[in-house]
Amino acid sequence: MEQNNSLPPFQGIVLPSVKGAMTPGMPIFSPMMPYGSGLTPQPVTNTNSLSLLEEQQRQQQQQASSQQAGVPGGLGQTPQLYHSQTVTTTTLPGNTPLYTATPLTPMTPITPATPASESSGIVPQLQNIVSTVNLGCKLDLKTIALRARNAEYNPKAKMWAHSSYKACCFGSENQSRLAARKYARVVQKLGFPAKFLDFKIQNMVGSCDVKFPIRLEGLVLTHQQFSSYEPELFPGLIYRMIKPRIVLLIFVSGKVVLTGAKVRGEIYEAFENIYPILKGFRKTT
Amino acid sequence: MCLPHTVLRLDRIGDVLALPKVQCPNHPDAMLVEDYRAGDMICPECGLVVGDRVIDVGSEWRTFTNEKATQDPSRVGDAQNPLLNGGDLSTMISKGTGAASFDEFGNSKYQNRRTMSSSDRAMLNAFKEITTMADRINLPRNIIDRTNNLFKQVYEQKSLKGRANDAIASACLYIACRQEGVPRTFKEICAVSRISKKEIGRCFKLILKALETSVDLITTGDFMSRFCSNLGLPKQVQMAATYIARKAVELDLVPGRSPISVAAAAIYMASQASAEKKTQKEIGDIAGVADVTIRQSYRLIYPRAADLFPPDFKFDTPVDKLPQL
Repeated sequence: MEQNNSLPPFQGIVLPSVKGAMTPGMPIFSPMMPYGSGLTPQPVTNTNSLSLLEEQQRQQQQQASSQQAGVPGGLGQTPQLYHSQTVTTTTLPGNTPLYTATPLTPMTPITPATPASESSGIVPQLQNIVSTVNLGCKLDLKTIALRARNAEYNPKAKMWAHSSYKACCFGSENQSRLAARKYARVVQKLGFPAKFLDFKIQNMVGSCDVKFPIRLEGLVLTHQQFSSYEPELFPGLIYRMIKPRIVLLIFVSGKVVLTGAKVRGEIYEAFENIYPILKGFRKTT
Repeated sequence: MCLPHTVLRLDRIGDVLALPKVQCPNHPDAMLVEDYRAGDMICPECGLVVGDRVIDVGSEWRTFTNEKATQDPSRVGDAQNPLLNGGDLSTMISKGTGAASFDEFGNSKYQNRRTMSSSDRAMLNAFKEITTMADRINLPRNIIDRTNNLFKQVYEQKSLKGRANDAIASACLYIACRQEGVPRTFKEICAVSRISKKEIGRCFKLILKALETSVDLITTGDFMSRFCSNLGLPKQVQMAATYIARKAVELDLVPGRSPISVAAAAIYMASQASAEKKTQKEIGDIAGVADVTIRQSYRLIYPRAADLFPPDFKFDTPVDKLPQL
């Protein structure tokens, strides 16, 4: 979809400081920045890397705003915005702060803190998270689509907005929250009084490999009430687990895709449930 | 005289409810013999008169009319279809014959028959559609009956009410073929229906869930006789192809491939080894698979071709001369 490029494009990374926004200088938040770059020593209140980055941004912004003139009106409220969000951020389970949260790089696998996998040494990797956030104000889609670089009408981009106050964003865990935050910033810069309410993860998708071929015909015979295997329609077996309520796509090659989870633990639990069953239907030849 | 105690049994014929059947209490499995002259149902094992004064729903008198077979004056109504309609005993107004039935403009007074059962109108329409579809591919009466029963069950449940009736009918036809052991591919059902394969597939899954049934997995052998006779292949080739496909699946040479594709590749291999060689395109047209798909599956089975043929097969083209794609 063609976007209007009359304005200089927003860099995908949005900052409260004016310095990084319009000029093509190095944004303060860069993918190269190591975690805890030592700009300001921060007491680590929670292990969420997100909050730490926000702290950094806040510090820089406070420094920058004293230097800059002509701070846009929306800027003043952002410290409070970020601050309030920091407090309400929940640490997701199994989160280690040992990676830089960048919206551009693919997510690196997070190992769970719990030693859950005695039976299978395999951990499903999360591939995608879908979440919604309520921006709390009416959005003029056309303006946003034209003026913000990452916004398009179709959901190929990182975020897309309903006209009815909500925005959905796709991405990887924690980054989705950050991305949502950034998007709210973008929208704010365009002049809408955006707020950041009700961030909720709607769906999580994970995938893994059991490393052996599977006899799907056997599986569908024994687990008839949960499985649906129609080779004419789809080459994989669709297994609808009841508890936790997860849908698994199981393929002959041994690859498994799990979806429908609201929290990461459901994906792991579902995989631990299915692994012994799959081992029983391992192909012997 | 008190009637002997009869046992009323609700039969399930393949998950479908049939009429209540009377049966002899001593011999529940015996087929009752109907004595039409006395109106009795008699058990052939012990001679017990099970049903008394059975009402005969046949003709009232014998008719010898050869002409106009549609006008049979002995029938007072259409043939009953109690399984499906719930007993239609309403009266319809037919077209008038005398002069009095026309008003001044020449239009007939007494409008045509009103909707006799508006609630079942959609169902009757669907039955007509099912019969039409089944006729196109020459399906026997038992499959049509099973389809009608499935449709009735789904319709009464109302869980798929929003879906197009034609889509549900097509999916019911597919399920009925599967349940009778003669599955038709989705593409074959698509060919006789206006509904897309995707929609039929969706309705199929929804119906299985709604009726809480399941169907057996399709195998390569289910389609061999149909595909081979459509291609005009002799029996030996058909048997060889069946054997090849079965062996290929047993040896797991084609993991993850649709059974239709494997069947098509097996037919190709068998026909190429015999005198009746068929091209991939011809087989692809009959089976509803693309010829590249046949090529893919053929490449997988080609290396073990020598093991796949039945031992008593007469080769017109030896195994090493089979085409290599």
